[in-house]
Amino acid sequence: MTAPLKRIGGSLVVLAVVLALNFFLFRVMPGDPLTSIVDPRFSPEAKAELASQWGLDRPLSEQFVVYVREMLSFRFGLSMMTGAPVWDELKRRVPNTVALLLPALVLSASLGIWLGVKAALNRGSTVERVVLWSGTVSFSFPSFFVQILLLMCFAYFWRIFPLSGTTSIPPPTGGAAAIDYIWHLALPLFSLVVMGFGGFALYIRNMMVKALGEEYVLMARARGLPFRRVVWNHAFRSILPPVLTILLLSLPGVVSGAVITETVFSMNGVGRFLLEATNSHDYPAAGAAFFCLALLTVGCNLLADAAYVLVDPRVRREGSRE
Amino acid sequence: MKRWASTAAFALLAALAIAGPGPLGLSDGQVAPPYSKPGWLDSSIAPSIELRVGAGESAAAAISWGYSAPLRVSLTGALGETGLVKWVTPSGDFVLSQTPGEMDLDARDIPFKRALGISPFENMPSALFPSRGEYALSLEGSGDVVMRIEGGRWGLLGTDHRGRDMAALFVRGLRVSLIVGIAATLIATLLGLSLGLLSGYAGGFTDALVMRAVDVLLSIPTLPILMVIAGIWGKSLWNLVVILSIFSWMGTARTVRAMTLTLRDASWVEGLRAIGARRNYILFRHLVPETLPLLLANVALGVPGAILAEAGLSFLGLSDPRLPSWGRMLHDAHMFGAFASGAWWSILPAGIGISVICLMFLDIGRKLEERADPRLAAETKQKAIEEAGA
Repeated sequence: MTAPLKRIGGSLVVLAVVLALNFFLFRVMPGDPLTSIVDPRFSPEAKAELASQWGLDRPLSEQFVVYVREMLSFRFGLSMMTGAPVWDELKRRVPNTVALLLPALVLSASLGIWLGVKAALNRGSTVERVVLWSGTVSFSFPSFFVQILLLMCFAYFWRIFPLSGTTSIPPPTGGAAAIDYIWHLALPLFSLVVMGFGGFALYIRNMMVKALGEEYVLMARARGLPFRRVVWNHAFRSILPPVLTILLLSLPGVVSGAVITETVFSMNGVGRFLLEATNSHDYPAAGAAFFCLALLTVGCNLLADAAYVLVDPRVRREGSRE
Repeated sequence: MKRWASTAAFALLAALAIAGPGPLGLSDGQVAPPYSKPGWLDSSIAPSIELRVGAGESAAAAISWGYSAPLRVSLTGALGETGLVKWVTPSGDFVLSQTPGEMDLDARDIPFKRALGISPFENMPSALFPSRGEYALSLEGSGDVVMRIEGGRWGLLGTDHRGRDMAALFVRGLRVSLIVGIAATLIATLLGLSLGLLSGYAGGFTDALVMRAVDVLLSIPTLPILMVIAGIWGKSLWNLVVILSIFSWMGTARTVRAMTLTLRDASWVEGLRAIGARRNYILFRHLVPETLPLLLANVALGVPGAILAEAGLSFLGLSDPRLPSWGRMLHDAHMFGAFASGAWWSILPAGIGISVICLMFLDIGRKLEERADPRLAAETKQKAIEEAGA
């Protein structure tokens, strides 16, 4: 088995665990799922009728097979609150969540890389102090607190950004719609970048300090290569694989952060949908939203894995040798 | 001095958490109008005070009033057969009540306004406090009356949307944060220790299984799972502790496994085995104590994660609503329009509390780590020297 295949296999295992967790969380834990949905005063016949309608009278193994098939084909069933198909609701929200998370990840990673490298080059400078502090802050400040503060400053006291929502109500049309969307996205995105870049920058600074001390860097400098080239093409190139690992490990946290960010800014995304569904005991919707968030994580994981193959020659060679 | 700052801060906060709001003279429950400002903030706003006359007190209570009218005025207590309560203002007197028996009057009640000859549409507190000057509540005959005057500021930190004292909530929230943070991390560390030892010492299939589980759990977003579980299981404090610890043992397991792997094949362990030491003896009398210092550091470094997770769940409204916690305070501030009232004082204390407590544990953890692993300390010292040179 080649290395990329192994990684895809790993992602499939994660997906399987997510599916199993999702199934058992809702079905097995508090005993009978019907008790949590149906009024206890219903007659036994009515309960049995409902159970057979929802397929809850079949053996658990059979239910699981049906459930997996439905999940993988995005047939999440009907929402218990609205009665509409859950997937229709989710379909409108997934792009909003992606539009928040992807730029946030790209921006905070690039800012983190840039500042981290700068800090490693200028030990003891202001940049390094900023990096050290922002790293500590991102590990110890609750993101929602920072976001509430931002809202308070830039949406309440100084009203330059909207207090909530994904678009204005009613939404403008044409070119103004895009501007309106970005205007609403700006503050959440900014908060995610501010809270996100510190961790990356701190790691990259530490690794770069080590890499810059290696002898091949000295050698490259001795050969008279331009300094920028030595830094980026030699030293930074060598730490790319661990950088990707950190990116990979931060993904679940970023997706978790979407729930909180979307709640603070009242954005119309999958995370807030999950929260609303959980609060109103709408289990099909909550399960589907969780599945979507996990799928998003696994998808990004796979993308990062693909990048691994590009970045790490060892992975490529290992693959071709076998 | 700086070395012990975090430890001292921790001791102080722990004492505060154990003592609770009682000894500080703070009371739970509604004490002042919603979103009252902190007492020290704006001295032109009326404070909240209580005037008592009758049983055990003097027959008249005088105050000098230098503010605009308060927000609410209410009277409670009881009057005797010939009792009469009078409110003496610079521009005339009001007879507040002369009905014998229990009394529960509020300035918002229309019958009360009528009885005093005030129009039902008029704001009674401003009628009772027409100007600045000397006021007095006086009692004639027997009785026992308390007059509550509620202004727009209260205590050290003001009040929240239900008029509860923020300082009392803050102290209560501190207790929740410390309990959840420390308990969840301890349980998670025990889990991680046992699984790490098992995986490192047993090796083979067990090892592969545990490490696979670690990988999978590390690549699933945990907050959605925690939300769903909290939604299904119920929102009690100990449920929160259990589910937080189930999803945060992975790091410790990895560390302990790595340590066990290196120790397992060390020559002194091999020697122990050669003289016939049993596996459990080696594990619990030699390997566990060996990992203990690092584990302690791990606990301290893990607490911020647990506190942040608890605060996040509470912020999303997935905690016990009867239990005030810092996350819950921010949840309430966000849900009940602290922005629209400009009530920044209902946001800052909880948020700063969380951040400071996390910084403190990070600092303690790093110091413990340096102790446990002197090489790290040497590295830090080396770095300090380099920085001093640079």
